[in-house]
Amino acid sequence: MMIDRRLFREVDWVLLALILIQSLIGVFFIYSSSHFLPGAHHVRQLAWIGVSLLALLLVLTVDYKFFVSLSGYFYGLVTVLLTATLVFARLIAGTKSWISFGLMQLQPSELAKIVMILVFARLFAEYKSAYLTTQHTLGALAVAAVPLLLIIAQPDLGTATTFLAIIGGAFILAGLRKKAIVVLVLAGLALGIGGWNIALKDYQKKRVTTLINPAGDPKGSGYQVIQSKIAIGSGGFAGTGFKKGTQSQLRFLPARHTDFIFSVIGEEAGFLGVFAVIALYFALLARMFLSVHKARDRAGVYIIFTASLLIAFQFLVNILMVIGLMPVVGITLPFLSYGGSSLLVSYVACGLVMNVKMRRFANV
Amino acid sequence: MPGERIYEDLSLVRRRASAAFWAVAALIFLALAYYWKVQILDHKKYEDLAAANRTRMRVLAAPRGLIRDRHGLILADNRASFKVSLIRENVKDVAASFAAISRLLGIDEPTLRSRVDLHKDLPQFEPIVVADGLGPNDVAPIESRRLEFPELVVEAEPQRFYPGGTLGAHVLGYLQEPTPEEIKARPDRKTRAGEMVGKTGAEHTFDDPLRGEDGTVYEVVDSLGRVQSEQARVFPVQGKDVVLTIDRGLQAEAERSLEGREGVVVALDARTGGVLALASFPTYDPNRFITRFTPDEWRQLINDPLSPLENRSIRGLYAPGSIFKLVMGVGGFGFGYVTEGTTVYCSGATRIYGSIRHCWFVPGHGAMNLENAIKNSCNIYFYTLGRRMGIDLIALAATRLGLGRKTGIDLIGEKDGLVPSSEWKKQALKAPWYPGETISVAIGQGQLQVTPMQIAAMTAMIAGRGRTVHPRLMEGDGAATADEDGPPAAAEPPLFKASTYEAVIAGMWRSVNDGGTGKGARVADFDVCGKTGSTQTMSRENAERLARAGREIKTHSWFTGFAPRNDPRIVVTVLVEFGGGGGATAAPVAGRLFELFKQELDGR
Repeated sequence: MMIDRRLFREVDWVLLALILIQSLIGVFFIYSSSHFLPGAHHVRQLAWIGVSLLALLLVLTVDYKFFVSLSGYFYGLVTVLLTATLVFARLIAGTKSWISFGLMQLQPSELAKIVMILVFARLFAEYKSAYLTTQHTLGALAVAAVPLLLIIAQPDLGTATTFLAIIGGAFILAGLRKKAIVVLVLAGLALGIGGWNIALKDYQKKRVTTLINPAGDPKGSGYQVIQSKIAIGSGGFAGTGFKKGTQSQLRFLPARHTDFIFSVIGEEAGFLGVFAVIALYFALLARMFLSVHKARDRAGVYIIFTASLLIAFQFLVNILMVIGLMPVVGITLPFLSYGGSSLLVSYVACGLVMNVKMRRFANV
Repeated sequence: MPGERIYEDLSLVRRRASAAFWAVAALIFLALAYYWKVQILDHKKYEDLAAANRTRMRVLAAPRGLIRDRHGLILADNRASFKVSLIRENVKDVAASFAAISRLLGIDEPTLRSRVDLHKDLPQFEPIVVADGLGPNDVAPIESRRLEFPELVVEAEPQRFYPGGTLGAHVLGYLQEPTPEEIKARPDRKTRAGEMVGKTGAEHTFDDPLRGEDGTVYEVVDSLGRVQSEQARVFPVQGKDVVLTIDRGLQAEAERSLEGREGVVVALDARTGGVLALASFPTYDPNRFITRFTPDEWRQLINDPLSPLENRSIRGLYAPGSIFKLVMGVGGFGFGYVTEGTTVYCSGATRIYGSIRHCWFVPGHGAMNLENAIKNSCNIYFYTLGRRMGIDLIALAATRLGLGRKTGIDLIGEKDGLVPSSEWKKQALKAPWYPGETISVAIGQGQLQVTPMQIAAMTAMIAGRGRTVHPRLMEGDGAATADEDGPPAAAEPPLFKASTYEAVIAGMWRSVNDGGTGKGARVADFDVCGKTGSTQTMSRENAERLARAGREIKTHSWFTGFAPRNDPRIVVTVLVEFGGGGGATAAPVAGRLFELFKQELDGR
């Protein structure tokens, strides 16, 4: 399907440029922190950026309303994929979260994020009252619960947490009464306490206790946080320079080019680098969030908001995690961390935002 | 705005979205402020932590599991030793540092340099081992000069030690450092640089269970590499012990009897295929390979024309000679070409396909049935039988008895050997099979090539009256295969009835106990059954090797047999290269092993 020229002019090229700049900064530091490892990670990341960009452009060609109308099928498909992953997928790094398509490996749990954005847009599009009713809240929770439970079972705590961000975002938008907030917080606490004692694996518990007392587990996740914090702190104002980070410390981070890429930036590019990346992110998020004013309908607002919140949430959790203010939950830094699935999903999420924005004039 | 009417009122959700964004923005600002605190305000603190107090992760090498014989006696042990590693990151001036280290450790600079170059792809912080196998006295002077050498780390490591020296060298194998390519090729296996892995033998086959789980210690070190404190320690877990089927006593006897010769002794448990003894001579002391620095000795061993590293029991290819008459006997009987009563008259020579063929016994054996033909190893009988059977049935019988294919023993590098057939010749040599060649094959010459292990497995199969036996170094659950194309996957249906083997076994018994060629292997009250062989030719590679070594060419001497005749317990196969007649040289060696085994059985 061709995009007509009018639509083409409406594409948010600034947003696209911001995304690409972030991605290239990512490649730069992926190279710096992994050039001595076999596998040429920076080249692979470049390839993934290409693939993701293509996916983003493809997303732009179809009116988002069409995606929303298909969201039910997507939901079914991703549920099947998640179940299949649980059953068949190879064990990678202890979690059954990967499914292999020949050369490419994809995490269905990442795809599920996009699907949830569309499903919620559809659920809430017709909901026009100022506040959520109990019935509506429970319905939405039930819909979200199936993929969420499948993801928790993998177990992929990081992705499950970002899921909560999408759900929470949709609820905030739909309007929560004070009573509802109290009930949800209480339910969350009950679930949390129950989950802590029943569902959480030891390593996950450790990550939370580590946050409270990093020295208690210096060789495990606490060790990662301590080393990450030392690396960031030692970067100072201007950093130690490209490839010159004392990686002797960072080498203990098994995920220094994935989850901990931001501590590499903090060390090698110092506060200047941190400031630059955060400022770019601020611009990016502002542009995404404030696009809600350009949406032509309710579904569009929900898409823009949940997609933006998804990126914002992962960004915040990641930069707080590497400096020791959040538990280490395995959430990547969108656009900068190494990893194809994460990159693809972030690009597609932005593609949805741009899609809504460029079709702001109803061409009925 | 015109057209506003067709849009629904979204102001409420838009307001909420904007509010949420500003909340996110506030959080981003707070995060930035915290980064400011850590990176600017507390910079000094973290810089000190980073520069002055650096945490180093050191691997505590796990001791390998012990290798024991079937009675629990230790064949491979560990002992304490020290190694010295170089951390390139801490080297300030390469030339000066190398010169000083070379003086300190007594290694010449080129060796040191090539050592470091070998691992140049590793990250700068990764320690490269530059000296190992050191005792406490060797490391004392290094430790006392820690301050001058921040780039050196001295670590204790358990070192493999083979208490028996050369004992069981070819069974146990040896350890070597993996090459950088080998490390990169197996990312799944957590091999670290400087680790020693099994290269051959049981050390290779059972490498996974033998290697333990390395421990780690996180140490805080200062800028000079001095350890300030220890943060956490995960103790290494020693690898699992591996119990082999080897019997240390038999193994020692097998090696003693080969001392000063070249050849192979294999003893199998006739019931299970468990290898009781495996000696291959010449041999080597695996303790010498344990150190990472034996380039000269190593090269010498590889280039030695007598190749002591080669496990001849599975890699040596020999003509089976008269041993092959067992295959002929089983095949001839099984396919119905002869019965117990069928006789062939041996006058010492006969004319077959237009040429005169001689028996080794010039006066002639007279009328021979199968049993006597085996006992006396009569050539004329088997020439005749061979001509009747034809090459392809001979080849079928030989293949079903395990020749021409790997036995599947759990050792790496086993060779297939060769059983010629008309099909094989057409494919390999693009030539038709000549009947005259069948006659050579019938007495175990021609293109036939077997390994001593195949002969041992074949003998075990005869002893078991046709039951297939796969030689094994380890029995039970932990059993592994060294090669992917191990033993034939599915059990083949037996080609011959159990009774087929009795006539041949009777001949083997008489060969040893009734004045036949194998009488040197006789043991009172043990009913040894056996067959001797002397081969006149050798494979081309053997001949070349021989020529390089400048040796005169004598016949190889074979013996293979089992005991007791009923309910066989042990199979012994002996090959002495250039040993002369099989009856004179090989049979007595086997006899001593049978004797020793019988004593063990009686003593139990």
